Amino acid sequence: MSQRRGAAVALMLPASVLVLVFLALPLLLLFRYSLNRFVPGQFMVEALTVENYVKFVTDPYYSAVLKTTLMMASGVTFTCLVAGFPAALYLARTTTRFKAMLILAVILPLFVGNAVRAAGWMVAFGQKGIFNYLVELLLPTATPLTIMYTPVAVFVGIISVNLPFVVLTLQSVLEGIDRSSEEAALSLGATPFEAWRLVTLPLAIPGVLAAAVLCFILTMNAYATPVLLGGPRFQMMAPVVANEVLNQNNWPFGAALSFVLMVVTLALTATANWVVARRYSH
Amino acid sequence: MDRKLTRRQFNAALGAGVALGSLGLPWARAATGPVVVGTWGGDYQNLLQKHIAEPLLVPKGVEVIYDTANDTTRKTKLMAEKRLPRGSMDIVALTGSGAYEMWKNGTLEELDAAKIPNLKYVQPKLKTKYSVPHIYTGRVILYNPAKVKTKPTSYADLWNPELAAAGRIGVIDIQYQTTIESAALINGGSLSNYEPGKAKLLELKKMGVKIYPTNEAMAQALKTEECWMCIMWKARGVMWQNAGIPIEIANPKEGIVLYVSEMAIPKNAKNKDGAYEYLNAMLEPQPQQAFAKAMGYNAPGSNAGLPADLAARIGFDKATEERYMSQDQEYLAQNDPQLQEWWNKVFKT
Repeated sequence: MSQRRGAAVALMLPASVLVLVFLALPLLLLFRYSLNRFVPGQFMVEALTVENYVKFVTDPYYSAVLKTTLMMASGVTFTCLVAGFPAALYLARTTTRFKAMLILAVILPLFVGNAVRAAGWMVAFGQKGIFNYLVELLLPTATPLTIMYTPVAVFVGIISVNLPFVVLTLQSVLEGIDRSSEEAALSLGATPFEAWRLVTLPLAIPGVLAAAVLCFILTMNAYATPVLLGGPRFQMMAPVVANEVLNQNNWPFGAALSFVLMVVTLALTATANWVVARRYSH
Repeated sequence: MDRKLTRRQFNAALGAGVALGSLGLPWARAATGPVVVGTWGGDYQNLLQKHIAEPLLVPKGVEVIYDTANDTTRKTKLMAEKRLPRGSMDIVALTGSGAYEMWKNGTLEELDAAKIPNLKYVQPKLKTKYSVPHIYTGRVILYNPAKVKTKPTSYADLWNPELAAAGRIGVIDIQYQTTIESAALINGGSLSNYEPGKAKLLELKKMGVKIYPTNEAMAQALKTEECWMCIMWKARGVMWQNAGIPIEIANPKEGIVLYVSEMAIPKNAKNKDGAYEYLNAMLEPQPQQAFAKAMGYNAPGSNAGLPADLAARIGFDKATEERYMSQDQEYLAQNDPQLQEWWNKVFKT
């Protein structure tokens, strides 16, 4: 027994050391930074103060940024689940010999980095972009639509990044669900929608939750898409953190903002897990 | 001789080799070691390599390597390495403001002019104790001559209600500091007091100014004639003209405020002799001409010998040169964070 435990420790050790050295320690350091003070012209000055966190809480600008980020994350997650579920269900159930190709088609967009993809959207969304070109073809009298540098552009951009993750996560869980339960429901007189709502969906809940959490976290921390498509006036948390650190050299406040973002994301994810576990545990 | 090397012998030899090598390394480097240049990447770094390192330093046996990053990262690095006896860079490229900040924080060496013979050619207005100017330009107004009929003469000409309402006046997000400064200059402020600029900018916001995220986005907007007038560095204006963007350059009567890109030596640089050689090479005529030609920035030295037509395109006439204005770096070091915060929180929202 103790030998097995020894083996387990040995197996866990490399990954644990990596996490400790490259994640936990930098986070601790970052937390320490968040308690320092920023003095213009002198950068970070050693201190032990909570003023950076107080600034976040008391300044409505930053709470508005957090609110925007939360709304974007919720909206994107909801849309991705609604749009991704049918696709995932189809992929899980289909018996076509092109299944491997269809899955590849879902993965393919992930081969292109976020920044490159956002650059593509910029071409499509610009005042003289492809989108407005099509609008002009169909409705020659319409004024060109302003999509670039609006929340809508960011919304579409992030969905295009996250949707493959959601579809793949859902599909892998749906594959594992035995179809006979749903067939039993149908044979007992349930409508297809009832069978989906009462049988398939509850069985797929762990997958839905995993997909939702993944999508939510990705959006909360989105950087390239909001910067490139949202423009100067649209603010989300990750770009604001980057701005404090990279442009202002204000490491203490940047660190505090990162912790706020991390804690909010973790708290919401944990709450969702807890609520769903309680609701569907029996 | 037929002798096979055993594994042990091989390992021992390897160990001895590594030990010897590591013993030899420090002073081998001290003698002829490389100069590590902390700089922006891209074209700028390529030009540094092509016009300073390759023709002027490599033949003398001075090797140059680059530590590429943006200047904020470089400043953070200088601050983090401040207490170390040996830093990682021998030359740091910084903006005028950045160099001042780093000097105030005690990370830069006070330069010994005797070791930089070419320094005597540098215009006095560009000189500091702690840095050598590399390239410079001045702030101007760019406008589309086909759309804006009267040539602008003042920053105040951007406050044109008609053009602003039509979305033809643009400002650039990353140029917040210089934009507030320009607004201050036409509203009773000065280079040591940008506060009056804030109210003036809010007027422009009310009129309907457009905010572009980067210089490149502005170039695009000028090209598509979505934007007709903006505040910009002359060097960019020249490069954009070269790229076929339909703009003309106008000098504001408030004066030409300079942007200077500088090079300095960190106090804890490993190879100070090499660094001094680098600074002197940078001020030779050939690299000054090359940067002026490739980037549209003016040469800081009177020895540059720029062709007259190039000098006329990128520079300013004598009378304007007399009135060059330099930013108040102490004011900016104290106020830049609050200016950016105001810009983000009040102006942009």
